[in-house]
Amino acid sequence: MGVKKHPASTNQESSMIWEKYLDAYYERSKSTLTWSGLEVKEVYTPDDLPKEKYQTDISDPGDYPFTRGIHRNMFRGRYWTRREVIGMGSPQDTHDRLKLLVDEGGSGLNTIADIPYEMGLDADHPWAQNEVGLTGVCITDLNDMETLTAGIPLDKVSWSLITASTAASVTMAQYAAVAKKRGYDLKDLRGSVQNDPVHFRYCGFKPACPLDLSIKLGADVIEFCTNQMPLWYYTTVNLYDLREQGLTAPQEVAFGFLIARLYVDEMIRRGYAIDMFAPRFTFYVSCHMDFFEEIAKIRAARRIWARLMKEHYGAKQPASQKFRFAVHTAGCSLVPQQPLNNIVRIAYQAMAAVLGGVQSLHCCSYNEPVCLPTENGHTQALRTQQILAYETGVTNVADPLGGSYYIENLTDQLEDAIYKVIDEVEQVGGMYEAIRTEWLDRKFEKEALSRQKELDERDKIVVGVNMFATPMEEKTPFGVQRIPSKSARMQIESVTRNKKRRDALVWKERILALKEAAMEKKNVIPYMIEATYAGATTGEMMGAVRLAMGYSYDPLNILEAPF
Amino acid sequence: MKRDKKIRVVVSKVGLDGHDRGAKVISSLLREAGMEVIYLGMYQMPSDIIKAAIDEDADVIGVSYLSGEHLIYTPQIVDEMKKANLDHVLFVAGGVIPVEDISTLKKMGVDEVFVAGSLTEPIVKFVKDNVRV
Repeated sequence: MGVKKHPASTNQESSMIWEKYLDAYYERSKSTLTWSGLEVKEVYTPDDLPKEKYQTDISDPGDYPFTRGIHRNMFRGRYWTRREVIGMGSPQDTHDRLKLLVDEGGSGLNTIADIPYEMGLDADHPWAQNEVGLTGVCITDLNDMETLTAGIPLDKVSWSLITASTAASVTMAQYAAVAKKRGYDLKDLRGSVQNDPVHFRYCGFKPACPLDLSIKLGADVIEFCTNQMPLWYYTTVNLYDLREQGLTAPQEVAFGFLIARLYVDEMIRRGYAIDMFAPRFTFYVSCHMDFFEEIAKIRAARRIWARLMKEHYGAKQPASQKFRFAVHTAGCSLVPQQPLNNIVRIAYQAMAAVLGGVQSLHCCSYNEPVCLPTENGHTQALRTQQILAYETGVTNVADPLGGSYYIENLTDQLEDAIYKVIDEVEQVGGMYEAIRTEWLDRKFEKEALSRQKELDERDKIVVGVNMFATPMEEKTPFGVQRIPSKSARMQIESVTRNKKRRDALVWKERILALKEAAMEKKNVIPYMIEATYAGATTGEMMGAVRLAMGYSYDPLNILEAPF
Repeated sequence: MKRDKKIRVVVSKVGLDGHDRGAKVISSLLREAGMEVIYLGMYQMPSDIIKAAIDEDADVIGVSYLSGEHLIYTPQIVDEMKKANLDHVLFVAGGVIPVEDISTLKKMGVDEVFVAGSLTEPIVKFVKDNVRV
């Protein structure tokens, strides 16, 4: 891949190579900054780590403020969950890939929605039809969810439902509906749902995510699960997607925590004590290229979350104070130039996640910046996790970097930098205001532009892009994943057929009951479950709630409400 | 090529794809390079993009694809361009696009493709060198 022709054919070319050799030989690292721009010293010594700090800010793994991890024995207790994100084509295609990865040693199920589903649209929406299954799986009705989960023992597996948008409420209802229909007790279900509708407005889904609707539905899922699904992690607040927009490490944590607090505050407003629901909070975190900074970021995040829960919200249970998180290695750090190099990038990022004390991990595939993962790509990403777990020995000891003069100092620096960003948001009136006034949108845009300029000006090096570039390959190594258009066609047909076949009277009664519940500000999840049984679809249920809250039925303003 | 007026570029997303970081960044960078950029944002259909290109008297259309939708929408955009007699308009695509699709897109009528991880300079240079007046 990307290899130039050698050796040089003329004397002149030959002498140029040896000049380059000398440059390379004497070249030294010029960097004094981390990826996020924090200044670091040449060396760290005992002076950088006052002895009393261990008691106040660090502590043993498993002890408050959990800087060193949330479990004392970490991976000796249990490996992290090897959970590759899967979503492609039809529910059947996605189901098949799930089974393949479980067969290859995956230890958690993790399905991701396609864009129509993330928008809360049905597969047969006129704008969705071209794009069903291109980036994930579309679940429109009960039948789709049954196909996705067919034959999988839902009381045994841990399933992470990445739906990522306002539609998380619908996803939770559809999953619960199928589980109940198959005779499972909701109390026994394990897994998580990415119920963070607020963040999704920053991932290109703003029309589907009005702020009040996002907070209401996010809190409805939290409330429903708190009361009925005690083993379920009812929200994965998505810091990862924010980072992918070009943010720095401190911004990732600060903005993510401030969004998380919108849900926490809403639950408190609804009358729930913090210890009733906080133990089931989880986060989705990025691991980018700066190895030590990412580890320090994770450690700082654990400390800040613990203190926020204990000191600000008065949480008494340690479980409420623990920052539990999954890592998605940084897709935006990967490039299509010399694509096999991505395997190495991903491996470093995954190791940072593990040394940071991760609970669940998704490794990107090397073809992330090219297409959805092929079978080979997916399996190789899982192998990266397995090599880490079984070959490298990094799992032997909890927080092996704890006590390092550098790591502890950098953790402090990250902590300060995160608080600084939080203060910046307070200055503009808090997170709700920062979102409402689009201060945060402008921040994202500014940061994204800076990242590209750093690349253009070689302030940040990416091998194959602004150093050691070679002509593009003509083929992607090991091929490209294509989504068969047949899959989408068949799903759209099935959805259309089911809409015709359902009992129109029962359907209408249930969908109107859902709309009424939303108008009365009741928790809508039980109504969504009932509506799902009556054949109501994702778009219809989202539409009913949207109408109740004064928004158009269809976020794209194409369809009229069918009820 | 000597030009009196600034190069006018319509940049857009197409369909439902919400990955707009690249489209926004390239819009800003083309502006900094002296071009007039009209960024249409998300949820544009091919006909919306063509209408904007006509209304704005665009010299260039730039479309950002990150959801594997490039092979679906490109022929539609090219078709609409032909119908509207926009043969003189440069059509540049960017985003997450497999290398093996670049020649396919060019055969369909895309003038150039810049994949993720591209630097700004070659993009600006391509536009300046190839824009047709």
